[in-house]
Amino acid sequence: MESRPDHWLFGEYRPPTGLYDEACAGPGELREHFRDVIEAFETLKPEGLKARSQEAQRLLRESGVTYSIYDDPQGPHRPWTLDLLPMVLTHAQWKTIETGLSQRAELLNRILIDLYGPQQLIKEKLLPAEFVFAHPGFILPCFPMNFPQNRPLVLYAADLARDRQGEPIVLSDRAQAPSGAGYALENRLVMSRVMPNLYREAQVQRMAMFFRAYRDTLASLAVHSKGEPRVVLHTPGPDNETYFEHAYLASYMGYTLVEGSDMTVRDSRVWLKTLEGLQPIDVILRRVDDSYCDPLELRSESLLGTPGLVQAVRRGRVAVANPLGSGLLENPALPVFLPQLCQALLGEELKMQSVPSWWCGRPDDCRYVLEHLEELFIRSIKPQAEKRLIRGDHLSAAEKASLIERIQQKPHLYVAQTPIELSTAPVLVGDRVEARRMSLRCFLVARQHGYFALPGGLTRVAGQADQRIVTNQTGGLSKDTWVIQAAEPEAPWVLPLTPARKQLLTRGGDDLPSRVAENLFWLGRYTERTESLARLLREAMWRLLDRESDFFPDRGLSHLLQTVTHYSTTYPGFVGSDAASKLAEPRNELMALLCDPGRIGGMRFNVHAVLRAARSVRDRLSDDTWRLMNSLEQMIATPGTLSDLLENAERLILLLAGFSGLSNESMSRGPSWRFIEIGRRLERALGMLTLLRLSFPAKLPEGAQPIRILLGVSDSWKTYRLRYGSTLQSDGVLDLTLVDESHPRSVGHQFVRLHELVSALPVKVQLPRRSTEERCLLEAQAALRLADVLALAPPAADQPPAPELDQLLSKLRGLLIALADGLSQSHFSHTLELPQQLVDYR
Amino acid sequence: MTAYIVTHTTRYRYSQPVSVCHNEAYLVPREFPRQQCRITQLQIDPAPAVRDAREDYFGNRVVYFAVQKSHTVLRVSATSEINVIPLEPFDMEASPPWESAAATIAADTELSAYRLDSPLIPTGSKWSEYARPSFPAGRPLLLAVQDLMGRIFADFKYDPGFTTLATPLADVLAHRRGVCQDFAHLGIACLRSFGLAARYVSGYILTEPPPGQERLVGADASHAWFAAYCPTFGWIDFDPTNDRLPTDQHLTVAWGRDYSDVPPLRGVILGGGSHDLEVSVDVRRV
Repeated sequence: MESRPDHWLFGEYRPPTGLYDEACAGPGELREHFRDVIEAFETLKPEGLKARSQEAQRLLRESGVTYSIYDDPQGPHRPWTLDLLPMVLTHAQWKTIETGLSQRAELLNRILIDLYGPQQLIKEKLLPAEFVFAHPGFILPCFPMNFPQNRPLVLYAADLARDRQGEPIVLSDRAQAPSGAGYALENRLVMSRVMPNLYREAQVQRMAMFFRAYRDTLASLAVHSKGEPRVVLHTPGPDNETYFEHAYLASYMGYTLVEGSDMTVRDSRVWLKTLEGLQPIDVILRRVDDSYCDPLELRSESLLGTPGLVQAVRRGRVAVANPLGSGLLENPALPVFLPQLCQALLGEELKMQSVPSWWCGRPDDCRYVLEHLEELFIRSIKPQAEKRLIRGDHLSAAEKASLIERIQQKPHLYVAQTPIELSTAPVLVGDRVEARRMSLRCFLVARQHGYFALPGGLTRVAGQADQRIVTNQTGGLSKDTWVIQAAEPEAPWVLPLTPARKQLLTRGGDDLPSRVAENLFWLGRYTERTESLARLLREAMWRLLDRESDFFPDRGLSHLLQTVTHYSTTYPGFVGSDAASKLAEPRNELMALLCDPGRIGGMRFNVHAVLRAARSVRDRLSDDTWRLMNSLEQMIATPGTLSDLLENAERLILLLAGFSGLSNESMSRGPSWRFIEIGRRLERALGMLTLLRLSFPAKLPEGAQPIRILLGVSDSWKTYRLRYGSTLQSDGVLDLTLVDESHPRSVGHQFVRLHELVSALPVKVQLPRRSTEERCLLEAQAALRLADVLALAPPAADQPPAPELDQLLSKLRGLLIALADGLSQSHFSHTLELPQQLVDYR
Repeated sequence: MTAYIVTHTTRYRYSQPVSVCHNEAYLVPREFPRQQCRITQLQIDPAPAVRDAREDYFGNRVVYFAVQKSHTVLRVSATSEINVIPLEPFDMEASPPWESAAATIAADTELSAYRLDSPLIPTGSKWSEYARPSFPAGRPLLLAVQDLMGRIFADFKYDPGFTTLATPLADVLAHRRGVCQDFAHLGIACLRSFGLAARYVSGYILTEPPPGQERLVGADASHAWFAAYCPTFGWIDFDPTNDRLPTDQHLTVAWGRDYSDVPPLRGVILGGGSHDLEVSVDVRRV
């Protein structure tokens, strides 16, 4: 293939020699199954390709597809990156992988059953006892486990590479809570949108069947349930690196996304804490490591689990997939024994080889490892005890000596592997392609008669050309994986799906866990708080620009800045001991309020709070809402000129207004919407009360026109002008912003809305009296309706208001706070009770 | 045969109501040829909604229970009638040299759990260095263990204020002080560091009253010691806190790899605020 304009993309592609390249058999020698794809890409021309790449990245970013780094809540939720060039597998290549992995899954499943049961493999010395007892994945409280179904290993995943001959081999086995299938699905979705023609013509095997089978298998685990079983997806929470996937799969498969504290064990059953009370859970699809699932019997310090879960599992009252204890199969020593185990358990040859491995617990292996340390990768079977992977060739003399000593002391803890030269695949970099190392993660799900594989899987590519390993932690890249259908389609394997249970027609709420309700409530509060603070800051910046242009004098800027400090409670700010200098030169303080994430109550802090609340209810938000949240994240202000910041504030206000619009337009009026709305209304009422107090002070500073600002910040200018023209009149302003129930920004209006919303919340127990929340609202409404605006308002603009105004505002504020407490008592109370460990004694 | 009645009472008091608690109790003494325990009355107050007994991996009797109504006090009391057959005198000289015992043990997969590191007990040169003087080449295993027990008794100070459950065993070794659980763990770490099998035993001991005095009720606490496995002899108990071989004054409740396998009572509560704990053990000869 020469470098011709129509081969602009691949003409120069030269994968490194000596490695297997997925697309090229030799320099300029394309493999047949990549030909169509590459041709299609070259037809696109650089501009077309660039546009599509951008489109793909935009789709991913807007759907919030992220891979985040654990323990770094401030850190970036890294966008997922997709390379448009798919990884292509021929039908024959795929058959080999599928057959090999199905056998392997079957084998691992049998091993799991044996090790948590008769342990015949140990008694017959097919596996050393250390394999079980020295590995942290063997969970004693789960022994013995009588698995009710014959394939307790529900989901199995394997990372694949190629050996020198190009044959696929297994790099590692994943048997606990494998991640990645959701990302593969999302990649496919994006590809089919960005490259619709190519995708259709390439005859790619579909993924939907796999997820249907997955769903079906999980439902079949619910042995006790008579109706539609309740399956939940158990996530460690928004800080987890693959949280996006948890939320994504939960909504795709129709499961409630739960955290450990959303569940409780009563009567040896697991229940979901919802607003409507406790609902029984039949199946838990877990994405939490098994040892963290129950602080009673497993790791006592875990906050991610549910106390009593192991007991519920033991009694067969709930099914967990994969079962607690399956982490044992991830012991890196396992590949050493698989060939003999396969013969013993299945009576077959092992079809797919693993990366060549040595277990130092065998004297011969240990000798070999110690003699060839520089050529090997070393792993500890206790992952927390050592670095994940020790490269023999990177060790200094001292490190090597120390490693040898550790191996000699406890040889059974060490496994050595031959470093594998991963194969390469072409990756788009700008308008050319580059060869990068790759590996493929495949997924299999248990069915009645065997394991069923997701056609293809998740291809991950190294982030740099010179990188020899593939990991997401250092910024990886992924590809959609295409398995081309056979030319002569063989009789399709018809999945023996159990007849679908008919879904009952419903309009009611889904299971809304109390924690989610609370987060929705705070989402509403924080968006409102952020929006009104943005309005205040915008006002301040306008006036500051005016003052600096020397065109207008102070015009009450100082009072406004002090209002900002009071409103956002960012003391000392503009009211502290050094207020005079800050008021004279307010830029730094304003900048800090806008951009400093550490300034509690500041703009950036509030935006983070919005995003945090949104992330923890990810599966409850519509795609559009989620896109909006992503734009919000990208708009987080960084220090710049005043006019940049002003523009930023403008956009932020529009965006947040868009959020209220969206939640009002596209969310059904169920409890989810209601809690956001209650949060928003409550916050707006509280904010208005604060502004009102600051706007009608006992002593008015020179030149300040706080009520003008009040009208501006509360977006009430228009209405006011329609009624009163341009004269500012205290009683008119007070009436409009405090009492007038027809004005959507007034305090009175918030009370009306809150009353409607609160009365419609589900009640667990019917009592013959009104709830605290309702009583607070009735009292507040009555107080406000009975108030006499003319008597309360200042008689003239430069005079103080009646002292009763301040009393009224305080009273209303107190009632709103009592309302918030009442809500939390009656609806979020589950979340208040954190489990704690009883002190041990000896 | 000696007969005992043991009453072990635990009381948690909470500053705020607890809505639910989940607990696991290792309070029902197990049976084995030298010990019978026909009856254990396990009283739990308030009455649990769920109560479920099972045998754990090591053959201990463990009771799971859950109290599902609001309470501010949890009281768990176990009263057991136990018969103990005194240990027959035996000849420690006749036990095999410790090296050959270690080889036999390494080949016995049934003993693996007791030979390898466990959650609270690491092994390694630190422990074998301390134990080395007790293990000269060729010494019969049981004599070596007895010597080790004597040295722990002599070298370490019984000091209830020094350690907690979270104290690493290395600190116990470095500061030469601890309580019975620490000494049991230490003995086990030493034996395992030589490739031998050892287990942790949780139970009670009868404290002999000084002559002429009424023995104090409730003065006794739950106790712990260790057992070493010796080919042909089986499991032999050693009490390093008292430097003696348990004969008929040690009552066994449960055994495991270390304390974490067999705590008398553990639990997770929802709510409760702060809490305090009161424990009493009464071992009476009948």
